[in-house]
Amino acid sequence: MQPSEATALKGAPKGALFSGWSAGLAGLLAPSEEGLKRSYFKGTGLAAALLSPQLIILLFFFFVPSWKALSLAFVQIDPFGGKSVFVGLRNFVELFASENYRYSAWLTFWFTITQNIITLVIAGALAFAIDHIVRARYAYRTVILLPYAIAPVVTGAMWAFLFNPSVGPVAGWLHAMGLPWDPNLRPWDAVVLITMASVWNHICYDFIFLTAAMLAVPQSLREAAAIDGASQWRRFRTITVPLVMPTVFYLFIINFVYGLFDTFGIIDAVTRGGPAGSTTTLVYKVYQDGFVNLNLGSSAAQSIVLMALAVLFTILQFRALDRRVNYQV
Amino acid sequence: MVERNPVLTIICHLILLAGAALVCLPLYFAFVAGSHTGAEMNQVPFPLLPGDQFVENAGKAWQQGNFSRVFFNSFVVTLGIVFGKIATSIIAAFAITYFRFPFRRTAFWLIFISLMLPVEVRILPTYEAVADVAGPVRWALDVLGISSVIAALTGYRIDAGFNWSLVNTYSGLIFPIIASATAVFLFRQFFLTVPDELCEAAKLDGTRPMKFLFQILLPLSIPNIAALAIILFIAGWNQYLWPMLFTTDKNMATAIVALKNFVPVGDSEGGWEIAMAASFFVMLPPTLVILFLQRWFAKGLVDSGK
Amino acid sequence: MSKFVRGAAVAGAAACLLASLASPAWAQDKTSIEWWYANGGRVEEGIQKIIADFNASRDKYEVVGIKKGNYEETFAAMIAAYRVGQHPSIIQSSERTFLTMIDSNAIVPVSELMTQQGYTVDWANFVKPVADFYLVGDTPAAMPFNSSTAVMWYNADHFKAAGFDGPAATWPEFEKQLYAIKEKGISECAMALNSDFYWSLIEGYSSINDYPFGTKGNGFEGLDTEYVYNTTPVVQQVERLKKWIDDGVIQLAGQGLSPMQLYTSGTCSTISASTAGHADVEANAKFNWSAAFQPHEEGVEPHNSNIGGAALWVLKGKTDAENAAAAAFLNFIAQPDTQAWWSEWTGYVPVTNAAYEKMKAAGFFEKHPTREIAIKQLSQGTPTVNSRGFRFGNSNQTSAILVEEIQAAWTGQKTVQQALDAAVSRGNEVLRQYEQLHAAQ
Repeated sequence: MQPSEATALKGAPKGALFSGWSAGLAGLLAPSEEGLKRSYFKGTGLAAALLSPQLIILLFFFFVPSWKALSLAFVQIDPFGGKSVFVGLRNFVELFASENYRYSAWLTFWFTITQNIITLVIAGALAFAIDHIVRARYAYRTVILLPYAIAPVVTGAMWAFLFNPSVGPVAGWLHAMGLPWDPNLRPWDAVVLITMASVWNHICYDFIFLTAAMLAVPQSLREAAAIDGASQWRRFRTITVPLVMPTVFYLFIINFVYGLFDTFGIIDAVTRGGPAGSTTTLVYKVYQDGFVNLNLGSSAAQSIVLMALAVLFTILQFRALDRRVNYQV
Repeated sequence: MVERNPVLTIICHLILLAGAALVCLPLYFAFVAGSHTGAEMNQVPFPLLPGDQFVENAGKAWQQGNFSRVFFNSFVVTLGIVFGKIATSIIAAFAITYFRFPFRRTAFWLIFISLMLPVEVRILPTYEAVADVAGPVRWALDVLGISSVIAALTGYRIDAGFNWSLVNTYSGLIFPIIASATAVFLFRQFFLTVPDELCEAAKLDGTRPMKFLFQILLPLSIPNIAALAIILFIAGWNQYLWPMLFTTDKNMATAIVALKNFVPVGDSEGGWEIAMAASFFVMLPPTLVILFLQRWFAKGLVDSGK
Repeated sequence: MSKFVRGAAVAGAAACLLASLASPAWAQDKTSIEWWYANGGRVEEGIQKIIADFNASRDKYEVVGIKKGNYEETFAAMIAAYRVGQHPSIIQSSERTFLTMIDSNAIVPVSELMTQQGYTVDWANFVKPVADFYLVGDTPAAMPFNSSTAVMWYNADHFKAAGFDGPAATWPEFEKQLYAIKEKGISECAMALNSDFYWSLIEGYSSINDYPFGTKGNGFEGLDTEYVYNTTPVVQQVERLKKWIDDGVIQLAGQGLSPMQLYTSGTCSTISASTAGHADVEANAKFNWSAAFQPHEEGVEPHNSNIGGAALWVLKGKTDAENAAAAAFLNFIAQPDTQAWWSEWTGYVPVTNAAYEKMKAAGFFEKHPTREIAIKQLSQGTPTVNSRGFRFGNSNQTSAILVEEIQAAWTGQKTVQQALDAAVSRGNEVLRQYEQLHAAQ
């Protein structure tokens, strides 16, 4: 299976772009896939030259700093860089022995999956709705994309305020409905709050790609199916969904990375990891230990664990879900 | 759609309206907060309707925060990020998909792995990397013994003389953010879907690879580039941690860092009204980008199916 | 199309290149040093004014004040910069980081610097609890700058309506007052819990009532100190606070809201908060506000409370000219005039007796009696080993642990004793790590 055959649309590369993306992505890790065009150019020198800017930048600004950061996992070090003591695997052992860390791992797992699915569902519903209607598409799309433009520092502060049990308007409505909403004293409320805030922040990202993917479904196919007598729902199920599936899969991966790595800013603004560490995800812990507590050794050890988990989960997701994604139309 | 289903249409509109409301709720309150005076904002419960101070608060914020300079910085840095990332990524993706050479897959994995370790984790060593860009080079030369050879031959001491610092420069703000895989990834996927016939035809014609890239691949990639540009612009504009840590010169701060300064912290008194008003005009360029570029990639896509 | 794209790419690359060459120019005629600080709002205005005054009075030196965020962000930024030699001359760092700074080998003790540069500073003139905190040997290692302590702010209208003149002197009496206010429905909440309650109501409580927080004189006498607050009446104090939360007498502010706002808006009747809140309260409280001493335990002679705020440190690795500039600036800060003005502007405590006397002489405290509470509270009783301050390594981390465990008690996941035991045990692990790292050298 070649990615370039992932869609049955001939001569329509523009339309295939979004479907093609995750098709290729999925294909990437399948053992038989090379990720190379069937017809390719010769010229190792040129290829190396083309690759070099990216690789050089990565070398200086990613690999070297990452190596320096992660190699601290085996020492205990004074933040100024003056003194250090080699402690072997002790940082790791302490992590796994710590109940708080295990809770964090558990929380991160559930949090990542939940916000992933909720984001996809909401963005999917919105994308479907926009695809279906004819009028005011541009207006709706613009409004729904706006949260993406807001600075994360503001988003977090706003959510914290809106749901603050003392003064927040939304909290007031919840109380009026009889719910004892209090993220300061009820850990579950706090977890719900960070999930909501994280989802809200990321809906637009999924929405952009889903909308575009749905736009890429050729009108001709839909019309042909309609003429054949298929109902709206059936058309959606058998044509749109399969064509959009590769994008959905792609977004699933991206949402996962987002939940795992990019949410600490929101958590910091909304709950600060509290109460009692109930909203401290793994990445928040890394940030706390590395930046606030300046415990660079433990932070590095946690980063290694986090990175290993991320890579592992990515691979597992591909193996598990790749089969379900239908590339042949 | 061929037939109209009014019920479904209404449901869709409701969904969209609900979505819009959900999205706008925090924005509305931010506006309310930004449009009152400090004293009014200090009341509990907070006012629920907008006041009339918005323009004034925004004006104050603009002055106090030195926003004209800061906006300029943000623009330079963000545009640098967008162009830099797209440029380096397109050619890298081109190399990986259209050329066969040893370690091709390894090269791709090396790039892919940069997604798996976020900036916050490696931020302190990144600072070192930026302040002393030549560091690794010096170290390598040292280890290989080359530097002592050079010193012996020419008297030029590498370790003392070869220094390059990007602190408090635009490059320092740009380069560490460019070091990530998303764009390479996206372009790779797209190139893989481009019909092989195009490349075959080009090779038959004897077209050089670079010409193929510029004249055929790039035009096809415009929708992709537009989408990516939106995302990169906004992500770059909203960067906080790195610029905050890295710039010490007030004139090199970015808009978001300046904004964060307004957000009241700890036990300092309120100032929410200024911060919220400021957040609106800080949000303006990304909003304009969304408005403007959105037309462009949607248009490109709708043409499919012809 | 391709020409356009190519043109754009070239333009973009050129822009990048040009941008990389542009860098800000520094004033070359004066010796310019940087001071990184972490305050905002009105306090920041005060800081900028002091800097401006200093710069105006000297032509050889110039201080540039840069705000890097809050205390933690500033500290982290300083560390990152230090490792690459881009650090400032002066940094404001919170009292909590004292031991870390001392042990870092990255600072020049302030007393040493001043002597070197030929300034005589009368260290004995500094207000005792403040100076003692920052002492290494006999002389301070950092210049106290914005020192504060927690006072009990209260809403005089509410207290009057409940039939009291002001907060009682002892905790049990104070408790009765708060419950009375709550039961009579005079206010929604009798007390707001500040986000730094561990500083004011736990560490401060320990200090005022002369209970040990850790062994070895709270760490002053050695790195092998251990926390012991889970065996002192601190446990009762936390249980008391928990009871008040459960009964709705205390409201937690949470995120998205400044706890002081609960007080200044008249929602909550009291809050235990820093004396530096004067600026906020004076500007925003529309009722009869006042402040009182923190309560103490029944039958206990109260001692001094603990200080908060930050001090100024001088970092190593700077040129002689820069050190001279730093010394000149610190000398300026230590002047009674500067101190008096600073204290009046912000509500922080005047750190020298000379400044204190100056303010008294000017009748400042008659007009603003609540301003004097902090410094009186800092001087009440005779200092003991338990009240002169804390010397714990990695105290940011251990404070965070303490707060986390106490929150587990608030949410009912653990009993108070369990929570404090866990906090002590985790905190001790951190202390041992610190000891291992620094004792070996």
